[in-house]
Amino acid sequence: MTAAQLSLQQSATIESIQESDISINFLELGILPGKEIKLLKKAPFGGPMAFLIEENIIALRQQEAIMINLKS
Amino acid sequence: METATALQTKTVAIIGNPNVGKSSIFNQLTGLNQKIGNYPGVTVDKTVGFLRIGEKEINLIDLPGTYSLYPKSEDEVIAHRVLNGLGQEKPDFALVILDACNLERSLLLGTQVMDLGIPMAFVVNMKDLALKKGIQIKTFDLYKMLGVPLVLTDARNNEGIDAIRQLMATEKFESPKPLLDSYAFADKALVEEVMVRFGFKNPYQAFQMLVFGEFDKTLPLADKQWLEEKSLAFGFDRKRQQVRETEARYVKIASILKKSVDRVKIESSNVTISLDNVFLNPVFGFVVFLGIMLLIFQAIFAWAAFPMDLIDVGFAGLSGWIYENLPPGVLTDLLAEGIVPGIGGVVIFIPQIAMLFGFLAILEDTGYLSRVVFLMDRLMRPFGLHGKSVVPLISGMACAIPGIMAARNISNSKERLITILVTPWMSCSARLPVYIILIGLTIPDTLWMGISFQALGLLAMYLLGVLFTLLGALALKFILKTKEKSYLLTELPIYRLPRWKTVLLTMFNKSKIFVLEAGKVILSISIVLWVLASYGPSGKMQAIEEEKTTVLQTTPEADWSTVEELYASKKLEASFIGIMGKAIEPAIRPLGYDWKIGIALLTSFAAREVFVGTIATIYSIGGDVENELTIREKLAKEVHSDTGEKVFDKATGFSLMVFYAFAMQCMSTLAVVYRETKSWKWPILQTVVMTGIAYLAAFITYQIFS
Repeated sequence: MTAAQLSLQQSATIESIQESDISINFLELGILPGKEIKLLKKAPFGGPMAFLIEENIIALRQQEAIMINLKS
Repeated sequence: METATALQTKTVAIIGNPNVGKSSIFNQLTGLNQKIGNYPGVTVDKTVGFLRIGEKEINLIDLPGTYSLYPKSEDEVIAHRVLNGLGQEKPDFALVILDACNLERSLLLGTQVMDLGIPMAFVVNMKDLALKKGIQIKTFDLYKMLGVPLVLTDARNNEGIDAIRQLMATEKFESPKPLLDSYAFADKALVEEVMVRFGFKNPYQAFQMLVFGEFDKTLPLADKQWLEEKSLAFGFDRKRQQVRETEARYVKIASILKKSVDRVKIESSNVTISLDNVFLNPVFGFVVFLGIMLLIFQAIFAWAAFPMDLIDVGFAGLSGWIYENLPPGVLTDLLAEGIVPGIGGVVIFIPQIAMLFGFLAILEDTGYLSRVVFLMDRLMRPFGLHGKSVVPLISGMACAIPGIMAARNISNSKERLITILVTPWMSCSARLPVYIILIGLTIPDTLWMGISFQALGLLAMYLLGVLFTLLGALALKFILKTKEKSYLLTELPIYRLPRWKTVLLTMFNKSKIFVLEAGKVILSISIVLWVLASYGPSGKMQAIEEEKTTVLQTTPEADWSTVEELYASKKLEASFIGIMGKAIEPAIRPLGYDWKIGIALLTSFAAREVFVGTIATIYSIGGDVENELTIREKLAKEVHSDTGEKVFDKATGFSLMVFYAFAMQCMSTLAVVYRETKSWKWPILQTVVMTGIAYLAAFITYQIFS
């Protein structure tokens, strides 16, 4: 399961970040394996998603959210 | 008396994550003693502040906010170059601002700076907020483990600023031991070769060079190729090693924080999350956004009109004063008609620029701006734009200049370029006087279901602008090529009250940049236009002047102003720009324009609203050119001398409006586009393509209505 599949207010633990050109961007924002992630908001029409990770709110598009693999 | 030699000047670079309060601290320390310049070859502004503590002069370099020292944008490249003294003198010290609520993340950058080996100190900001959240920092333990002096501050409330001053005065900076061993991420032989070639004393500097080399546009090509070859020879995989480095860093940071920070769980209501329930609501969120945008639009459009009128009147008064008080001659003419109006043409944009950036600073400082990106991203993407393109485009409805300057926040270079290129198609306020006159001439003042046809006409012009802005973006999306992938990975910071000092400083600094940078180009083009409009082939102008003197002698004084107007028009016709107007007549005939309109098109290049003044001169309409009604009545009576048909009929009027909607006729915008893209390629392309499309569209419009 990836972060894009979370439903609103649902939490999970990050297992890994998929390797890509922007994996470093995830890491530097503190999106790290082992952290809790919770889906707060979704913009309409398949727009960006807002996640809560350790008191920080991070906005990602769905194409970025699928790069966050979650522990089931 | 102090002598300059007694002063000791030290340079301190200040760096930190975005939203960590870095600019707050910088502004508290330096106030208005700031200088904004440019780093060569990039669009990043170089902000240096100056402060004096006792005998010591300190130059504080404000580096752009960044989460790490990885090459992702020009901001990081600049941080890397400054901290390693590449292309400039290396700062004596570094001051790294950490977020007390986010120590783990801010230490990622903090420990990277540590590893560079520059003497440094940490400022742990927002200590109050951290306490409220139940985060207790054991300062001494943290200091012992990092080996770097720490200052705790709450910059918003001006707490701890004196301690920073004290620290700089006594130079209590320390060169820490590196946190990571750079040889674990790159071959030792490779690192040593880089150190020798670039004269580095520290292996992490060499590692950074290997990582940044490919992205540093200002690095000599020979160095770049050398780095590439070496990386290849040693099998150094930049991306892979960066990820490894980051992971190793986070492991070390976690172990440090485990021993130096206590967390007490405090159950508190989260204001930010509750506010987001409204601001990010799929319905209310857009309503609030629309309301805020209307307010800003209203401000730039209506409230700025008052100071702009004052500036207008002031500069006209100054020109008049110069005429009355200086001896007549070419220099006085140049001053009164070329230079003063030229400067006036720059200054007149300041109210709009200051207001837009004031509002943007408030929206950014409160944390709302990132929410706009969140809401609008999905709607902008089909057009090749980013959520961050919304603000530039909307401000383009008042004036394209601050809009284009605001496009700097877009990190993807293609999306940023598209935004810059299409923003001038949004209907700016300079087009309004042109539209109002032409609509008055061509559309009947009748009502349809209680709505004025003229108002509908104006609305249509605005919608045309929006439509073509989006279509233009869509076309550019397919034309421009980039390897960069578009992504959105952004923090939505907590909501805060705006800091008024920061807001005012932003307004001041942005206006200053515009005046100093774009002002030069605008002023020089104004002078060229003035010369073209005041001089013609020798003899011809002189003859008109002599003829006027003879005619004046035989006319009663009461009619002098009519004669003056007539000869002003004749002189403009005989001037170089008049000749150019006639020369382009065959080209603009198919659009329904005569050479007189041609002259107005040429002078409009200074700014669109100049159309009104030029038309008034060329048709020798005296009196108050600001009075649109007088001009309109006069123009309505103008007929073609050969056919006797009205000059400003529906076809010509519509065609002109369409031409003004699309053509690139604003040198101030071009100057800003040059500044923001660092290349004349884009402003020239913009002029050619936009004016070409304007020509085509005006041609079609004229053929339909004639």
